Amino acid sequence: MANPLLAGRGSRVLLLGNEAIARAALESGICVAAAYPGTPSTEILEAIVEVAEQCSVYVEWSVNEKTAFEVAYGAAIAGLRSLVAMKHVGLNVASDILMSSAYAGVEAGFLVVTADDPSMHSSQNEQDNRWYGLLSHLPVIEPSNPRDAYELTKESYALSEKYKIPVILRTTTRISHTRMPIVLSGEIASGRNCRGVFRQDLSRWVLVPGNARRRKLELVKTWTSIMEKEGREPFIRIINPGSSKVIIASGIAFSYVREALNLLNAVDKATVIKVNMPVPLPRAPVKKVLESASEVLVVEELDPVVEMQVKDIAQTEGYSIRIRGKDLIPLNYELSIESVYSAVKEFLGIEGKTPWESIGVVETPTPIPPRPPVLCAGCPHRLTFYIVKTAANKAGLKNPVYTGDIGCYTLGYQKPFETQSTCFEMGGSIGVANGLVKAIDNPVIAVIGDSTFFHAGLPPSINAVYNNSHIIILVLDNLTTAMTGHQPHPGTGISATGKKTTRILPEKILESIGYRVYVINPMKTRESIEAVTEAFREYKNGGMVAIVSRMKCALEVAREARRSHVTLPLYAVIEDKCMGCMACVNLTACPALIVEPGAKKPRIMSDLCIGCGLCASICPYKAIIVVNNPTPGYEKLWWEP
Amino acid sequence: MNRIYNIGVIGVGGQGLLTLGRIIGLAAIHAGLDVAVAEVHGMSQRGGSVIVNVRIGEEPSPLIPIGGADLLISLELLEAVRYIQYLRRGGVLVSNDFIWPPPLARYPSRDEIVKSLKSKEINLYIYDANKASTEFTGSTVSANIAILGFTMGVDEELEEILGLEKVAKALEEVFKGRVLEVNKELLRRSYIEGVKIAGKRRGSR
Repeated sequence: MANPLLAGRGSRVLLLGNEAIARAALESGICVAAAYPGTPSTEILEAIVEVAEQCSVYVEWSVNEKTAFEVAYGAAIAGLRSLVAMKHVGLNVASDILMSSAYAGVEAGFLVVTADDPSMHSSQNEQDNRWYGLLSHLPVIEPSNPRDAYELTKESYALSEKYKIPVILRTTTRISHTRMPIVLSGEIASGRNCRGVFRQDLSRWVLVPGNARRRKLELVKTWTSIMEKEGREPFIRIINPGSSKVIIASGIAFSYVREALNLLNAVDKATVIKVNMPVPLPRAPVKKVLESASEVLVVEELDPVVEMQVKDIAQTEGYSIRIRGKDLIPLNYELSIESVYSAVKEFLGIEGKTPWESIGVVETPTPIPPRPPVLCAGCPHRLTFYIVKTAANKAGLKNPVYTGDIGCYTLGYQKPFETQSTCFEMGGSIGVANGLVKAIDNPVIAVIGDSTFFHAGLPPSINAVYNNSHIIILVLDNLTTAMTGHQPHPGTGISATGKKTTRILPEKILESIGYRVYVINPMKTRESIEAVTEAFREYKNGGMVAIVSRMKCALEVAREARRSHVTLPLYAVIEDKCMGCMACVNLTACPALIVEPGAKKPRIMSDLCIGCGLCASICPYKAIIVVNNPTPGYEKLWWEP
Repeated sequence: MNRIYNIGVIGVGGQGLLTLGRIIGLAAIHAGLDVAVAEVHGMSQRGGSVIVNVRIGEEPSPLIPIGGADLLISLELLEAVRYIQYLRRGGVLVSNDFIWPPPLARYPSRDEIVKSLKSKEINLYIYDANKASTEFTGSTVSANIAILGFTMGVDEELEEILGLEKVAKALEEVFKGRVLEVNKELLRRSYIEGVKIAGKRRGSR
């Protein structure tokens, strides 16, 4: 069970696109890697974390993407190769330093990985981050599959060092999260010097207007050079040259175009330009192909970033050819083999039916219910939401608006909780609450997770006190960054590599800002309802209050219980006592509580229940009880990081 | 292999679908084949509906087209129905005999589901992988391995492409110690069960 990331040169290993990027960065000799977790980027840093000590790489989960960028950039200006990784929206957070880093440049290879999420599998938007290349005048490298990601990561380090600028590597979900066999072409760098040197150079590192103006000229020169001189493999490749029909495919689009042409037996019917550097699009090779072309199809995921540049080249050179793209390929969502197949077929004017024949849908008398993601059995957020809603009623807090944020708890927008009325971006719960409370008369409760609080919750918390925005802050502290797969954060006092470090508690921060903070343990449901009711009453009397609800993520608890052979309580519904009122089912929506078709009483799935006890505390007939012998002291697992 | 062989691994987030997809991918490597395994991470894993796309063939793009799956392996019956349109005419569906309803939902009964599935031109196998796992390991955690073994037993094409010993070898890269031994044995047992069922069915034709 050796870690495939450490396999030797020549091995053929099954790597996730993100792991391929990590391996290539290690081969490239990075000394520093930093990130804030975010789907679909997370596994890049996770892979490096696992081997960091063995490979002598400094690695950290930073508090947010801006800081992560700055950490890696700091190393790069001191001459050490480094990497920063984030999801697409993370680059919005880091965009300030991104723009400046283009002007000042780097002293060693510096890779900015942005993992975009077309179709929004796990995101609030599907922005195309290749625009950031055009905005910052930095090259964007876009692999077509995980194998490409491996090779292109290494090429990107060389490119970054050649021009002394950051390079953006853009992947999408289906590259980051697809595994493919990869033949390793290099060894992990060892024996390199990871002590850098910071060379004082005020004209470069201090971007006051005079210096920035000079640096902008340098940047434009670099940009033009790359556009003119880097039109080579592996950044761009011409396949089957000489055809009058041309298909230009950027990044993952190439994988679909290749397969579509194979299925259509049309590999020789078009010249294909495989683009792996969509920004800036290398001009010379594209110009050469367009010279003899009659019609062009540009295939790319999301926005027409390459299409616009191709049209620019054609216009500048005076070619009157038809250039198609977004009229045949959707502007939204991820590509599929079906969508690319039909576009290529129409473009090439090929007749015939599609090679796939579905058996169609299956109708059932009761339709198959939708299955959106839900809070897990035992999820602390379920307990907190129940407590907060009950306490709001008790305290007479009328029609509160719950502004929400990014994390598992966003799922609280669903019934029966409805304790997330908004969800925009990291930290938005508190920020938007600041404005809402100036606009409406309802009480406003900003609900934010622990990791998100550290990421972007501090400035708006300060703003609220400073500007008298009378809001309630509710921090859901489950002692981890749960949604992205359980990364530590400052509130855990544990570093990326599992070392003990200073623990920073949200309540201490909030107290020092000026909030009266109530810390609750939601497993003690009744006590917590009392405490939150008191907090709400204080709020009604004009107080600035915050609540920190602390209980560990149930998935972590279950894992630790297995590891340390601790038996957690197992609850069951006692049929004789149960009156079938369904309060447990309707108030908790716990996935462990099921009602079979035709049944009058619920049942607890013993494989799923991990003993949070919320249903038992709700049951008016005391019909839900513990039916096993839990290990004494098991409660500690729910409380300690 | 000239064409691409497509396997949809489906079920509910948390049922070990990623592990199952990865094991098939590793077995494909051992069989000297190219493969792409497109996983689902993040929000969808929180008890949501999940499909892992496994495509065996030369340099495949990541996603199975609708009507393109040769085989669907489902760890849950409602999800088997949800994704059935991915299956090609005459394809194989192996589903766990298990319903895990979403919270607060109305849903069809097992008999209704099985009857509806049987109305289609597919090779349908329903197997209680949860039971097989529980009987042998004490919990449902290895249902993914049980259903894989069973599928290898009933689906000759998959067995021809991968081979049972390649799958067993793949397990060594994913598990260790006692868990590995248990899973290897479970794979073998459920495979034999599959072979028996398939043999009976072939005989009755």
